[in-house]
Amino acid sequence: MKLRHKLTLANLLFKLGFVILFMIATPWLSERINLYQTDNELIDKRETVISIISELGVEPFLLNEENDVFGSYNILKEEFISIEPVHLDDFWNFIEVAKRSIDNEIIDYRVLNYSFLVDGEMFLLEIGKSLSSIKTTESNIRRITIGFLILFLLISVIFEMAYTGMLLRPLNTIIEKIKTTANPSNYNKTPITSSTFDFKVLDETLSALMTKTEELIAREREITQDISHELMTPVSILRSKLENLLTHNNISEETAEKTQEALDTLHRLKTLISSLLLIARIESRQYLKQDTVEITEVLDEMIDELLPLAEEKNIHFQRTLGADHKITNANRTLLFSMFFNVANNAIRHTPQNGSVSVLTTFENRAFCVVIRDNGEGISPELLPQLFMRFKRKNNADDDGSGIGLAIAKSIADYHHIRIKVESMPGEGTSFTFIFLQNP
Amino acid sequence: MNTLIVEDEKSLANEIAEYLQKENIICDKAYTGISASEQIAVNQYDFILLDLGLPDYDGLDLINEIRKEQDDAAIIVITARGDVDDKVKGLDMGADDYLAKPFALIELYSRMQAVARRKFKISTNEIRIDDFVIDLRSRKVLFKNEEADITRKQFDLLQYLVLNRNKALSRIQLYEHVWGNLLDDQYDSNFIDVHIKNLRKKLSGYGQVEWLKTVRGVGYMAEY
Repeated sequence: MKLRHKLTLANLLFKLGFVILFMIATPWLSERINLYQTDNELIDKRETVISIISELGVEPFLLNEENDVFGSYNILKEEFISIEPVHLDDFWNFIEVAKRSIDNEIIDYRVLNYSFLVDGEMFLLEIGKSLSSIKTTESNIRRITIGFLILFLLISVIFEMAYTGMLLRPLNTIIEKIKTTANPSNYNKTPITSSTFDFKVLDETLSALMTKTEELIAREREITQDISHELMTPVSILRSKLENLLTHNNISEETAEKTQEALDTLHRLKTLISSLLLIARIESRQYLKQDTVEITEVLDEMIDELLPLAEEKNIHFQRTLGADHKITNANRTLLFSMFFNVANNAIRHTPQNGSVSVLTTFENRAFCVVIRDNGEGISPELLPQLFMRFKRKNNADDDGSGIGLAIAKSIADYHHIRIKVESMPGEGTSFTFIFLQNP
Repeated sequence: MNTLIVEDEKSLANEIAEYLQKENIICDKAYTGISASEQIAVNQYDFILLDLGLPDYDGLDLINEIRKEQDDAAIIVITARGDVDDKVKGLDMGADDYLAKPFALIELYSRMQAVARRKFKISTNEIRIDDFVIDLRSRKVLFKNEEADITRKQFDLLQYLVLNRNKALSRIQLYEHVWGNLLDDQYDSNFIDVHIKNLRKKLSGYGQVEWLKTVRGVGYMAEY
């Protein structure tokens, strides 16, 4: 989920929670407010009645009534007022909810009871307001409130979406920049435009980090190259000395053999160093890519080259070069080495009378070269480190350093070729070279 | 042949000189660019072996000087930096060949011979062994005027052995010469054995190949 949506959602949820709480509380709140309001009104009315009575006395109210009780309702029975004489000792002053039966109809009223003394007589004044009228007001208030809240929610969501979208635009730019960066060296270092301090800092830090990483990678390559160069001279001297030793006429056959073995070992050292150099050079793009290469032609040459080795082990070396593909801006020698190293590896790890096949095909419209053997296979836990330098496979009779596959991998990367490896221990391994169309 | 070895590693220069002197090549040594520059100005050389990575002198400048002072000298550039750039520049400026460290002394000698053949028009384009004729120019092997059917790599192997007549070549030397830029780490002595075996099988279909010998503990040799 995107930050922007998360922010909006969190805000929305918070507001929604608040609105729900408010809606739950509204009946109780509005009832409170209403009662308070009603009670105040009733008290006001009481004051009016009392002031009338203190001016005119009780008599005008009781004049035309039977039983000395005054009662008056308005037409819709929403309100009433009554005055009746009560016992002297009775003392009333409170507001309550009471049921009154009027014309065979029972209605809930909020009733103010108030007793007062007039000319030595105690009277009870009752002023009532029907609760249904209170409820109507209440539900009106609630409806308006809810409507208003929903409107508020809608507007705030729209506003937030727009605002966070605008606010987080620089962040999206930064993310886009990172996403499209396969290599620190091609990170787009043009500063983003933003008034938000944090994003600026983030952008600057990332750019600085990329520069630093780029430098470190370059330095690592440089060191690899320098060390390799430095090592070549002593190896060269040692080799010349041993070769000169071999040309001496008076050395024994045993010495000659030992010297030859020393030369073999020296050769391994040399190939290791030059492999490291090669990888460093490929990775720092020192090889020109100016050839237009027909892949099947390279494969044919590679197969011809390795055929004698396969025949020696009676391995069936099969070629099914159905599809062809021409790539431009390539280095033919490097591509040849890539296929050669992998196929040579396949032959080496395939037992007598086994089979190795090379085939070309189109898979999902991408050109693929598959080199498959039915050799010993690679266990799944070793697969991830297959292309790492100096990670040897778990078998003793493998005399290679394992750098051949690392070379193949760096050549593949250099040419935008993806290598997929599938293997089943005991059944064989297949390497698929996928030529990416839009590098 | 008169040769100047320009190499700041004294030990390496001495080894090269020792080897070449056995092949009856006269060798001068210069350990610095300055002394090389002086010797170039004074002496005439057939060959100059030049290490490009001199601490006191730009190797490419030296090539310029050589080209100015002595037109006839063949230059073989030696460098520990197998950089494509260096190689291209060196060859562009008039070097005749290029060798990356570390190289086999016999490879150096063979290159010198090849350059000499080319440069000084020494015409040994056909080498005769018994009834076989190895034609270096058309890259063919003929047996009594019948062309033997061998592959390109097999010819390369044969040519290298034949040119280094009566010298035992190790499998590594053969491998480097024929598959030099193959960039495979998994050097396999079996590789050469298989190719020699096939070469022998093919040639023996025409005539006897006793002269293509296996030298125990070392490698192979063409003895004729």
